[in-house]
Amino acid sequence: MVVSRSQSLFVASLTYATLAFFSFFCLFPFLWMLDTALKPAVEVMSDQPSFLIGAPTLQNFESVLFDSDFTLYFRNSLIVALASTLLTLSVSVFSSYALSRWERYPVSQAVGGALLVSQMIPGVLLLVPLYVLMQRLGLLSTYWALIVVYCTFMIPLVTFMLKGFFDGVPFELEEAAEMDGCSRVGFIWRILLPLSAPGVLATGAFAFIAAWNEFMFGYVLINDDSHRTLTPGIMLFKGSHQTDWGLLMAASVLAVAPVAIAFVYLQRFLVEGLSAGAVKG
Amino acid sequence: MRLLKIGLLVGALVAPLLASAVRAEPVTLDFWVAWDPTQADAKAAIGQIAEFEKTHPNIKIKTQTIAFDALHDKLTASVAAGQAPDLSWGLVEWLGELNRMNALADLTPCAAKWPERDNIYPNALQALTVDGKLLALPNYLGLRGLLYHEGQLKQAGVAAPPKTWAELIEAAQKIKQATGKFGFGIAGRGVRSPQELLMYLAQNDVEVAKRQSDGKYKNDWADNPGEMKHATEVFAFYRQMLDKNVIAPQAAGWGWEEEDTNFSLGQYAMVIDGAWMSGRAEQNPESMKDVRVVPPPAGLKSATFFEINPFFVYKSKHPEETWEFASFMLSHAFQSAVNPNRSPRTDVQGDEIWGKPFTSLTPIGVSFPPVALGSITRDMEESIGRVLLKNEEPASVAAWLGKAVNKSLRQTGEISTQ
Amino acid sequence: MAAVEHAVMAQPASESRRAARRQDHVRRIAILFLAPAAAFLLVLIAYPLCNVLWVSFRYANLVDPTTTGFAGFDNYATILSDEEFAPALWHTFTWTAFSVAGEYALGLTAAIALAQPIRGRAIFRGIVVVPWVIPIAIAGLNWIWLLNPDYGLINAWMVRLGLIAHPRDWLGGIDTALLAVTFVNVWRSFPFYTISLLAALQAVPRELHEAAAMDGAGPIRRFFVITMPHLKAVSLTLIFLHIIWTAINFDFMWVMTAGGPLNSSQTMPVMIYKYAMQDHDVGAACALASMSMGFMVTIFFAYYYGVRRKGAR
Repeated sequence: MVVSRSQSLFVASLTYATLAFFSFFCLFPFLWMLDTALKPAVEVMSDQPSFLIGAPTLQNFESVLFDSDFTLYFRNSLIVALASTLLTLSVSVFSSYALSRWERYPVSQAVGGALLVSQMIPGVLLLVPLYVLMQRLGLLSTYWALIVVYCTFMIPLVTFMLKGFFDGVPFELEEAAEMDGCSRVGFIWRILLPLSAPGVLATGAFAFIAAWNEFMFGYVLINDDSHRTLTPGIMLFKGSHQTDWGLLMAASVLAVAPVAIAFVYLQRFLVEGLSAGAVKG
Repeated sequence: MRLLKIGLLVGALVAPLLASAVRAEPVTLDFWVAWDPTQADAKAAIGQIAEFEKTHPNIKIKTQTIAFDALHDKLTASVAAGQAPDLSWGLVEWLGELNRMNALADLTPCAAKWPERDNIYPNALQALTVDGKLLALPNYLGLRGLLYHEGQLKQAGVAAPPKTWAELIEAAQKIKQATGKFGFGIAGRGVRSPQELLMYLAQNDVEVAKRQSDGKYKNDWADNPGEMKHATEVFAFYRQMLDKNVIAPQAAGWGWEEEDTNFSLGQYAMVIDGAWMSGRAEQNPESMKDVRVVPPPAGLKSATFFEINPFFVYKSKHPEETWEFASFMLSHAFQSAVNPNRSPRTDVQGDEIWGKPFTSLTPIGVSFPPVALGSITRDMEESIGRVLLKNEEPASVAAWLGKAVNKSLRQTGEISTQ
Repeated sequence: MAAVEHAVMAQPASESRRAARRQDHVRRIAILFLAPAAAFLLVLIAYPLCNVLWVSFRYANLVDPTTTGFAGFDNYATILSDEEFAPALWHTFTWTAFSVAGEYALGLTAAIALAQPIRGRAIFRGIVVVPWVIPIAIAGLNWIWLLNPDYGLINAWMVRLGLIAHPRDWLGGIDTALLAVTFVNVWRSFPFYTISLLAALQAVPRELHEAAAMDGAGPIRRFFVITMPHLKAVSLTLIFLHIIWTAINFDFMWVMTAGGPLNSSQTMPVMIYKYAMQDHDVGAACALASMSMGFMVTIFFAYYYGVRRKGAR
């Protein structure tokens, strides 16, 4: 591009300055979270807060891991998030295949339209009937209540994301496979999924993060510590330790750690997946 | 392959459910508590419970910690879902509501045969009896005294702790000027704020709902201008505390945890609080070293909040084991380990600083009227917010609260027609 | 599909029968593949939605099974006469409008910055997305601590910088609670906009920019005339989606203020929760939920017919 050198230097400095601001803006809350978690109580409750730690301690982390139900909540969240992600993907692979290949069939149009509309149904509207339904089925305070609810809300979005990726696999491949005697399911399993693997992984990661982060249904449908998930668990944690911020921040760091690690690893896939979805959508 | 994976996953999920079904032999009791696990009393209780499990191998106690503010909603939701715990902590304010939900077990027959019954303060048991049925057992007794940091008062030249509202305001202002710290603290929100409001109302000779001749209750401020005037003065007192820098402006948003923690750290000088602060003295020995206890300042008269904190016993699948554990928690061994300074047992006396100065306040203790309090306590909390945050006129706030109390009594059918 | 059908038409009778059977077979498979998703939708979304509408016209109590009966418009009257309803509506509107505006502004700025050809773009991109991946409950807790009036960092900095005289209880003040939560929401949600807008920005053909530059157009003019139109479709989708997602968001409000203090940050979802879970008045909660649904549907139609149709021109 024909642009003067000083102009491009100016733009570059402005860009770096902006990005530096955004980096600070995005990251400092976590740095403060970590900083607080490493401080002893007397430094946490100081009216002159600073990033410097006089006597760093791991006491808060120890209390969270060994003296509280944190690991229990963590395990529950892991179980629920994994199960709902797997179940969602299983159901969505088939529905998005159908939407991708047989787009014009009336049944595809109907279900596709319904999935689209359901994406806009807010969870809080369904809070009451779903709570009563789970109560009648005796599923309150069980993993299944959450798994089923999470799948319901994730299937529409995951279906559309997968459809975007499946659309990119040419129809000729499928015809060739069929002529070689491959069944439809075989095609999906052996050719379609491996070809769309980055997209499927990104979608799966997205679904996992959504289930992990979910708060409202976990708060309302589970009354029992042994099935409580992490996000409502942390909030109850806060209630019991209103003023023990060192402990609360340690719990937060531990709750965020797996998501952060998964994110760093999957970052490229996730962002590419989201961008692909955005441009197509 | 994927089917295998799904099968394994489903198996892994179902296994814990099956396992818990097989292990049906020892009875497991669900006990929901609201203690702070880092405090001494909680640690002592956990130790005692472990002892109990050793001597009763057929009973296992599963505790779950939920703070008071969240505990109420969780309890009502689980009772409604048929998943109530076997026992739980709670507030006596919830007794009426839980009774109306038919959730509580009638303990009268068990208590009649109970040998320890005579060692419990009779008025503690009385407060937990509705229509002749004992519906809960006392957990601890809480009277509130005036705690103050002697050092901060000396620094401001306040010779003796305040004995009246006027003296309180004056002392707090002196402290602010001399030390830069605020003189007093309140709880503006959460479960403690209606308890404090009840106390200030009682100190100004006002009842929030008065028992009428037909045995039911009513708020008579609207009919009685003298009562309305006294109620207005209480809200005006709250406002004064804010306007005259007696309390920190953020105290309007403090729950009991902030009130207690900030006092323990010496961030302000005086507070009306209970004997559990002895636990704080162990946690923060330096800043709590100079704390003394005296009766709270009086308005028109002396009064303080008398909390008979219960633990609730629900209609359980294992009534015998539940009673076994409940009565254990009122045994001498348990009480002297866990609640030495605030026990409902007559034979567990407290120490010089944290025992007698509180228990001596029993004659001036007042409690909530024995009605279903659900929205009444919420309205009381809101009234404090109205006067401190919304800056409404004390007179209109008093009028509003009077009407709200009667509306609530009407909804629960407990209003008097006199 | 059309080519296949043409081919079918041209064949003899037996083959066309076979082809028809094959089409039936394929149609059945399509139904089979779509059945599980449809089942979830029917049982867990369609049925509850109808249920909500149905119960809104009946008396129902969460803890008292003896409360039954046809209520007509009674529940709606209860909601409309609740003195907190109009404020909740206003709060929902304010919170949504400011959130989406802030998120778009920040998101666009970050996207433009990330679209520039500079070193280390991937790292910055990764950093910018971080707030969005964090659970709302954790983000809420973190910011409650940052905004704490007694010991919080934000107040300490603002006092040190001279912006305010003494610490303020942002989440505990009637005028500031809603705005404080809005700010945290913007902080957490803007990365979603950034990534979507970035993808769209990178799809703008460079030749257009170069041609315009050669015609003498400056960067700002180029931005408005070339870049913005390309962003229009993505922007509108983003904004529309987020208006809905923000308006119905329960988590942030509940975790940070629970609608307080004194209902000054109460939005519609919080009100629905309180009616159902604290007052146990399920009928009224469903009435309020039905009304919210009505608003959502209106917005959807406004978007679909107003925007999509025009855009399709």
